[in-house]
Amino acid sequence: MAVLEEPINGIPLVKNFVNGEWVEPQGQIVDVTNPATNQVIAKVGVATREEIDAAVEAAKTAFPEWRRTPPLARSRILFRLKELLEESFEELSRIQTQEHGKCIDESRGETRRGIENVEVACGIPTLQQGYYSEDVATGIDEWVIPTPLGVFGIIGPYNFPFMIPLWSAPYAVATGNTVVIKPSSEVPLSQMRLAELADEAGFPPGVWNVVNGGRTVVNGMLEHPDIAGITFVGSTPTGRDVIYRKCGETGKRVIAQCGAKNFMVVMPDCNVPRTIAALLTSFFGNTGQRCLAGANLVIVGDDKAFYKRFMDDMAAAAGAIKIGYGLDESVQMGPLRDTEKKQNVLKYIDIGVKEGAKLRLDGRIPKVIAGYPDTCFLGPTIFENADPGSVIGREEIFGPVMSVMRAKNLGEAITMCNDNPYGNGHAIFTSDGGSAREFQYNIASGNVGINIGVTAPVALFPFSGAKDSFFGVLHTQGQEAIRFFTESKVVIQRWF
Amino acid sequence: MRLNTASEAISFLRELETKAATFYESMGKAHSSEEALFSDFAKESKKNIANIERTYFGVITDALEGCFAFDIDRSKYEIHDMAATARYADDLAAALEMEERIRRFYVDAAAQSKGLMADVPRVMERIARARGERQERLRSLMDALKKART
Repeated sequence: MAVLEEPINGIPLVKNFVNGEWVEPQGQIVDVTNPATNQVIAKVGVATREEIDAAVEAAKTAFPEWRRTPPLARSRILFRLKELLEESFEELSRIQTQEHGKCIDESRGETRRGIENVEVACGIPTLQQGYYSEDVATGIDEWVIPTPLGVFGIIGPYNFPFMIPLWSAPYAVATGNTVVIKPSSEVPLSQMRLAELADEAGFPPGVWNVVNGGRTVVNGMLEHPDIAGITFVGSTPTGRDVIYRKCGETGKRVIAQCGAKNFMVVMPDCNVPRTIAALLTSFFGNTGQRCLAGANLVIVGDDKAFYKRFMDDMAAAAGAIKIGYGLDESVQMGPLRDTEKKQNVLKYIDIGVKEGAKLRLDGRIPKVIAGYPDTCFLGPTIFENADPGSVIGREEIFGPVMSVMRAKNLGEAITMCNDNPYGNGHAIFTSDGGSAREFQYNIASGNVGINIGVTAPVALFPFSGAKDSFFGVLHTQGQEAIRFFTESKVVIQRWF
Repeated sequence: MRLNTASEAISFLRELETKAATFYESMGKAHSSEEALFSDFAKESKKNIANIERTYFGVITDALEGCFAFDIDRSKYEIHDMAATARYADDLAAALEMEERIRRFYVDAAAQSKGLMADVPRVMERIARARGERQERLRSLMDALKKART
């Protein structure tokens, strides 16, 4: 199979998109590197405080008129954006592979998920309707108007460069707010293309802004008095100790979706081939760099024959995964995003070995298709006999590492899951409805999978999270996003 | 060579259908008595590509097992670039063989990806059924040709 054509050629400079204009960055310029080829594919500016202030000012200025724009008119712009995204579907997908490294099927999946949120937000004329009660007391009526709040900051991570800002942005602008998006500076290209399409769709200047950068931009958003709220996806230490705390101090609304350590619980009555296919995607999809990735595999019961058969099949399937550049259609697992992240995963593999877990499949020296530099590549790694309380069993690794543990029964498996500080996306694989119900009822996890390895809710539903995986009240996506981006203005009326 | 990812399988289908369309276009020119039919077959093959791609792009998500949906030996279904000859019977036989390979690919790919690729297998099955009808049509043309010769 041929390698698909790369949409990004030359080395473009990624500018900021402020007030409907592409603005030359003022701060330091850094490289954007394709992690598979190790080549620089773009340059991006690290915005200064003045640049973030200018973007917020533009968003603030645009807000009153955008708020007055009828929801139906706002919806029509979103419909146009949806059309443009569909037209650019393949280009957007390939950009994600180029900047992030994920396989083309994964990028297309990400594009689809992103568009899905725009589709849902297109329904804003009904989604944003309030409600009304006549005669709450004699002659007195009362109603609720969901009103927009102003400017929202959207802080995206590196692992889903296109999709994650779309968990928030379409709902924010659909409800009449304006946004400043900060993509990860490692992967700014798909957000640059998205902003071009948003501009083409017809959002007025200042409604949709993008400022690239790092900590300065984040701090600028957190401290800015004109930002009403922040959505953030990233690590737990940053989400909990910086974003959530600072938003509390400054009175901002906040959604902080954070780290995870997801347990995949396998019952002996599961459909083995289907379960293994699902687990391959769960543990090794996106090279393990997702907050819904499987991390710990818990095999329930003391059936030694089942365990051996299951693990033999699992290890064989994982060992056969084709590793390489995601634009090669045969590739099933791409590189990690950068060398630092690879080193971090390697550190955990070393810890696992030192902790005494059995290294069943060692991914440290991967066989890479077509000989791309091994700077960021790792193969699937499987540890058996891992302890849920050990470092590799407890901490988020964020790479293609599966730690296998055993539980005597389902109750013990659920306890293992719930003892972990994270609660993002645990799942069970079983053919038994009773086991499935027991699991979903007792598990402390925001998203729960039943025979689903990646428990990503569709855009109609909130992207949930619990414990150390989520800080806030309402979630991104769907109705909860509408509530997050609006204040319930309650009017009580009497006429004399 | 084995096909494992959805992207590979879809690209392979595109290749098969493109080759089929090209062959039928050339058959239409070479055997003008059935030009309309072969032209319809060519158009249908192009439509199949659009149909499969639309379905795949419409359902693929990061929660589906897109990278692990197939395990198919590509060599069992490959077809060569084909062009019509002056020999109508030979061309019909070649078309039938080609159709059978493509139909089998659709059937086998659909069976493997059921439950893994959402709506894609259903579209594949529908196209496979339509291909069966196409094969019937080609067989009836062969029969008519044989009768005319006897």
